Amino acid sequence: MTAAAQDPGSRKEPYWVMVIDLQKCIGCDTCTVSCKAENRTPPGISYNVVMQMEIGEFPHTRRTYVPRPCMQCDRPPCVGVCPVGATYKGESGVVIIDDDRCIGCRYCIAACPYGARSFDFGENYDEMIAFTEVQAPEYGVEQGPRRKGEAPIGTVRKCTFCLHRINRGEEPACVETCIGDARYFGDLNDPDSAVAKLAASPRAFRLKEEMGTQPRVIYLK
Amino acid sequence: MSALTREKAALRLADEHPAPEPSKHLRAGWYALLAVLLIAGGAAIFHRTVNGLATTNLTSITPWGAWIAFYIYFVGLSAGAFLLSSLIYVFGMTRFERLGRMALLTALVAMIVALSFVLLDLGRMERALSALVYFNWLSPLAWEMRFYLIYILLLAAELWFAMRVDLVRRADRSRLARWLSFGSKSLDTARDHRMLRILGTIGVPIAIFGVHGGTGTIFAIVKARGMWFSALTPIVFIVSALVSGTALLALLYILRQKALKRPVDGGMVADLGRLLGAFLLVDLGLLFYEYLVPLLSMAPHDTGVMHLMMEGPYAWTFWILQLGIGMVAPAIILMTRLRESVPLTAVAALMVVVGIVGVRFNIVVPPLITPALEGLPAGQYFPSAVEWWSSAGIIAMGLLLFSLAADLLPVDEDVHVIGGTAHD
Ligand code: SF4
Ligand code: SF4
Repeated sequence: MTAAAQDPGSRKEPYWVMVIDLQKCIGCDTCTVSCKAENRTPPGISYNVVMQMEIGEFPHTRRTYVPRPCMQCDRPPCVGVCPVGATYKGESGVVIIDDDRCIGCRYCIAACPYGARSFDFGENYDEMIAFTEVQAPEYGVEQGPRRKGEAPIGTVRKCTFCLHRINRGEEPACVETCIGDARYFGDLNDPDSAVAKLAASPRAFRLKEEMGTQPRVIYLK
Repeated sequence: MSALTREKAALRLADEHPAPEPSKHLRAGWYALLAVLLIAGGAAIFHRTVNGLATTNLTSITPWGAWIAFYIYFVGLSAGAFLLSSLIYVFGMTRFERLGRMALLTALVAMIVALSFVLLDLGRMERALSALVYFNWLSPLAWEMRFYLIYILLLAAELWFAMRVDLVRRADRSRLARWLSFGSKSLDTARDHRMLRILGTIGVPIAIFGVHGGTGTIFAIVKARGMWFSALTPIVFIVSALVSGTALLALLYILRQKALKRPVDGGMVADLGRLLGAFLLVDLGLLFYEYLVPLLSMAPHDTGVMHLMMEGPYAWTFWILQLGIGMVAPAIILMTRLRESVPLTAVAALMVVVGIVGVRFNIVVPPLITPALEGLPAGQYFPSAVEWWSSAGIIAMGLLLFSLAADLLPVDEDVHVIGGTAHD
C-alpha cells in the first residue's frame, strides 16, 4: 500500500470533467438523442442540446456547433438560490437535484446562466410503449415507474453527467455515442488522463468563464 | 370635546352611528361580482391543481410569469401600505391617522394574496411548508419566506392593537368583537399607542429590507439575467412599493368614503396626492438611471432585454401601461393644481395601481424571454386563460377578505380616539 492510499486526506477523489472538441463536433445531435434514450426524458426536456454559436471576434467569426450539457459548475448559481437546499454539489462533483425535496419554485432555472435546467410539466411519450413503466436512475438513484402527478413531475431536472453510468465505471451516454469522437470524459486529477492533457491545450475555454461559475465542461475551440 | 375641531366633532357624531351602511344595491352587486370571480377563479385553480403547471403557458425557458408578477405586485402593495401606516404610528404624522387601520388591513390582505400567488406557482404545492422546514442561507427566497411570515404576524398584531379599544367598546353588542378582543377590557389607549410605535419601529426595517428590498434581492442576485442583476433592483422595488401602496390607499380611502356616502377629507387626499407625486418622481429618477447605465455601457445582456421591452411584441405594456398610465399621466395630475380635485386624484391613484401591474410584468418576463445563452431559443410567453382566471380569483379572494373585514371590524373608528389623546 502506498502512503497516499493509507491517508484518506491525500487520496484524491476523481475530478470528473467533460471535454468537448468543437472542431470535431459536426452538429449531428446524436448526443441529444442518446441522452434522451439513456435518461428516458419526457417531451420538452433535453438534458443535452446542440446550439449554434458565433465564435471568435469580428470579423473573424464563424458559426460553430456547441453541445450544451449541464456544466456541473464548481460554483453553481443554481445551488445558491435553491430555498430548500434541494439542489447541491454532490461528493462526485456532480450537481444533484433531490426531486423528493424540490418544491418546484423554478428559481434555479432562472438562475442557471447556461439554460441547463428544465421543469418537468408531466408530459409523456404516450405513443412509446412502456414509457411510463420505468424511468432511468437519476443521479444513480432508481426512480421506478413514472406516475401521474408524482415527482419528478412538478420538479426541475437536468443533466446528471450520467452519474449512474459513472458509478458503473462507464462514460456518460453522450460521450460514448458521439459520432465525431468530439467528447471526452475523465478525471482531471489524473495527469495522464486524456482530459487533463486536453484541458491544458491553448484551445481550451469554458462558457461564460467571466461569471465565475467554474464549469466542469471544457470546450476546445 | 373642546379640544376637537368642529370637523372632528362632526366625524365623531358620524362615527357613533352603528356601522355606516352603503347602499344595499351597491353592496349586493359588489359581493355578487366577487362571487362570480371566486367561482371562475376557483375552477381555474382546481384545473391547475389537478393538471399541474402544464395548464400554464410557462416553459423551461420562461419559468416565471403572471403569478410571480402578481406576487411581487402584491408584496409591493403590502410593503407600501405598511410603510404609510408607519408614518402615522412611528413618525407621528397624525394627518393621515384616519388611514392607519385601513393601511394595516390592506398590508395584511395584500400579503396573504401575495403568498397565495407563490403557493399557486409552486410545481409541488403540497411541499410548500418545506420552504420553512429546510433552509439555505444563501438563497434570498429562503430568507423571504421567513420574513413574510414574521411580517404577517407583525401586521396582524399591529392591526389588533390599532383596533383593540373599539373592539372592547363593541364587545357588548357584537360577539365577533368580544371574541376578537381576547378578553381585553381596558379603554385606555396609551398602551396601544406604545405597542403600535414599538411594533411599527420593528416593522419598518423588516418591511424595507426584509420584505420588499428582499423580494428585489431575489431578482438582483441572478447574474444570469439582464436587468435583474443590479444593485438598483432592490431599491427600485422599495420605491415602487411606496408608490403603489400610497396610490392604493388613496384610492381605497376615496372609494370607500363614496360607497359609504361619507365625506371625503379633501385636505388629506391632497396631502396623499403630494406624497404620491414625490414618490413617483423618485421612481422616475431611478428608472432613468436603471436604463441609462446599461444603455450607455452597451452591456449586451441588459440591452437585449431593454430592446425586447421597448420594441418587442409587448412594448405597449412598457410605453403605455407602465410609463404612460402608471407614471407620466398620474405625475402630471399630482404635480399640478389638478391634484386639488378629489376625483382626479382618485383617477391618478387608479392609474398608478393599474400601471404598476405593467411594471411588475416587465420586471419578471422580458429577462426570461431573452435566452440565457446565445444560441438557445428565445422564450415566448403570454399568460394562459387558467393563469388569468386563477389570478382574478385570488385577487377576488383578497378583495373579499378586505370587504368583510371592513364591514365587520372597526376599521375606521379611531379618529376621535387618537385625535383626542394625540401622541404623548
Ligand atoms: S450549468 Fe446551470 S444547472 Fe448546471 S451546475 Fe451550472 S448553474 Fe447549475
Ligand atoms: S425548483 Fe427545486 S431545485 Fe430549483 S430552486 Fe426551486 S426547490 Fe430548488
